[in-house]
Amino acid sequence: MATSEPRGTENEEVRAESPTAPPVPSPVTSSEQYIKHPLQNRWALWYFKNDKSKSWTENLRLISKFDTVEDFWALYNHIQQPSKLGFGCDYCLFKDGIKPMWEDDRNKLGGRWLMTLSKQQRHNDLDRYWMETLLCLIGESFDEASEDVCGAVVNVRPKGDKIAIWTGNCQNRDAIMTIGQQYKERLSIPSKTLIGYQSHDDTSSKSGSTTKNMYSV
Amino acid sequence: MSSSRQFSESRSIPTRTVLINDSTQLPHDYCTTPGGTLFSTTPGGTRIIYDRKFLLDRRNSPIAQTPPAHLPVIPGVTGKNILNELKRNEANNINNHDAKPAQAEDAQFEMDI
Repeated sequence: MATSEPRGTENEEVRAESPTAPPVPSPVTSSEQYIKHPLQNRWALWYFKNDKSKSWTENLRLISKFDTVEDFWALYNHIQQPSKLGFGCDYCLFKDGIKPMWEDDRNKLGGRWLMTLSKQQRHNDLDRYWMETLLCLIGESFDEASEDVCGAVVNVRPKGDKIAIWTGNCQNRDAIMTIGQQYKERLSIPSKTLIGYQSHDDTSSKSGSTTKNMYSV
Repeated sequence: MSSSRQFSESRSIPTRTVLINDSTQLPHDYCTTPGGTLFSTTPGGTRIIYDRKFLLDRRNSPIAQTPPAHLPVIPGVTGKNILNELKRNEANNINNHDAKPAQAEDAQFEMDI
């Protein structure tokens, strides 16, 4: 194949199991190792900290933007894992130009595939799920449906953490179902466990504690 | 409004097969997903797709071993304390394999790339 084949993959499985496992130096050090691989999109990583003395937007802070695979890892390798964030904090990864809020023009007609985690899963699954979610987004894992993706959010909460993939239009059934099915597969969620898609409209106007699912897989 | 609509002839996109023996024979405007797909521009535009394995492998890149330039220091998220904590976690996570932490002291330097 034309350009760089992945090298030094002997520790692949080890790293795959642990999001915090260290990068392993490749035995092959060549100029190829310094190549940056462009992403389809430029992405912005945001951090939200729930400080009651400030407004919602004041609590939202841009961490960094990146548009290559290597710059993604440079960021990921040097920031805290979600499971170690304080309660009430979020990470949001969104395509550049889309703000991580319902009100953004690219989000307001959309919704989210929502995964609700149990308290135990913070220790076991949260960081792994979040890393897989990030890789799905930056690698454009949903084929054409990747176009519908706006971003992803992880919420760290005392009652149980949440991870969601946000898409731009809750009426785009085909794209949403493709994303949901492939996402579930990537996270190895058992098929009997359902995950639901909710429109932001329903989420923001809900009266009780649950929002109805428009779709589920 | 005209009632006689004209349908244009339907044709498949013309393709040709070229045997490539070496990457240097590739036209310069072909795109590749390293480790994976070779594709040229499609009518809807080209999408750059990376599979999971390739992305994970690039975590080794020397470029990924230093924090991005101008990374803001955010308590609890970035900064020296976090780097030390990440390093400690790595040390704990790898005690069963012979992989060694690659970041060592270099992680504290910023590099303009």
